[in-house]
Amino acid sequence: MTKYGRQLGIGPTDNTSNERTPRNKLNLIPEAARKSFVPYAPGIHGINLAEADMTRIAPGRPRASGEAIKVSGKLMDEYGRPIKNALIEIWNANQHGGYTHDEDHSGLPIDQNFLGIGRTLSNSDGNYEFWTIKPGAYLARPDIGRWRPPHIHVSIIGGSSRLISQMYFPNDPHNDKDPMRILMGDNFKANIGKKYNVTANDFDCGYNFDIIIGGKNPTFFENDIT
Amino acid sequence: MTHSNKEINRLTPTNEDTVGPYYPPSLCENNSMDMTSIRSGIVFKPLGEKITIKGCVKDIDGKLSNGCLLEFWQPNSQGVYYRADTESHEMVDPWFTGYTRHRTKDGNFSLTTIKPGTADGRAPNITVTIFSDGIMRVVTQLFFADEKSNRDDPLLLSIPEELRERLMINKISDHKYEIEIIMAGKNETPFFDDLLS
Repeated sequence: MTKYGRQLGIGPTDNTSNERTPRNKLNLIPEAARKSFVPYAPGIHGINLAEADMTRIAPGRPRASGEAIKVSGKLMDEYGRPIKNALIEIWNANQHGGYTHDEDHSGLPIDQNFLGIGRTLSNSDGNYEFWTIKPGAYLARPDIGRWRPPHIHVSIIGGSSRLISQMYFPNDPHNDKDPMRILMGDNFKANIGKKYNVTANDFDCGYNFDIIIGGKNPTFFENDIT
Repeated sequence: MTHSNKEINRLTPTNEDTVGPYYPPSLCENNSMDMTSIRSGIVFKPLGEKITIKGCVKDIDGKLSNGCLLEFWQPNSQGVYYRADTESHEMVDPWFTGYTRHRTKDGNFSLTTIKPGTADGRAPNITVTIFSDGIMRVVTQLFFADEKSNRDDPLLLSIPEELRERLMINKISDHKYEIEIIMAGKNETPFFDDLLS
């Protein structure tokens, strides 16, 4: 007998979401098959520490234009246990809202000193940090005047954890009309970075963004908490 | 501790969000869609039948879904997954990790791999995770249409019979297979919930 899980929501005014969101409820996985769904990416993370500083394309090159910010936080499972040595991939638009991706045809200005792509690892306590330029908002649907609020994309791969999400900024006027934010409802606050002061004089401020990966996957092969 | 206390003591998970249209392809450039060749320039190859699966991801209108990030994992030909709990298993194939990922520019993909063995009482299958603009992460498992063990597989048995064929990889000639994944609408591929399960 089929048992159902979540019904994924369609992001309002998002054409791609309408075209690609499954209409049927997700199926629950029977216990006998559950283990095979736990992702496991082999540890292949050879990264350069400088990749965490996205404010420069390479050390010694000019600083990208815009507001330089630090983002830091802790990767955890639902029980607060740290997710160690996980690969965190980061990508975000420049201060004008433009990406260096060759499929971004928005025509927004490109900053020659900003790649907008970085990587870092969480440490043995689950903590991570990176530095970037605060992204600009951009007009995603000119036909209806809908903007995408400033956001930083993050992808987490570590052990049996897998998450792709976005960090948003507090009190941005475009936040509340964002299609995916609408689907998050009140829980949207979990995806907003909390602003803090940075004492280093070459950064304008920092944002704390703790990332909590839900479900059974992150600690499937560790001791169960019962 | 009661069940309700356990619920209260949990942290609120960060919401999954769409990958968007601009996932940087360079982040996967160390991954290859040929899982039979994880190291180049050596004579060792993984055990088992080398196969190629041509596939595509389509939307509700039957159009290709461009820019999807696809992730695949599977056991080796002996039915053993390479992962945290099996790293020292004697049947782990040192030349096969069973994991890769790929950003498809146009919605098509071609995966070269080893036909998976039978693991833990399961019919041979490949797990697929799809990240795409406009949606949160979805996962499913793909099976081989010509496998007798499909009739006893607990995952296939958990969904209505008429939906099972939508998870089948079909053989088109020796060692060559194909699959169409349909994200939404008519003939929608069944997807599974690994957050609530």
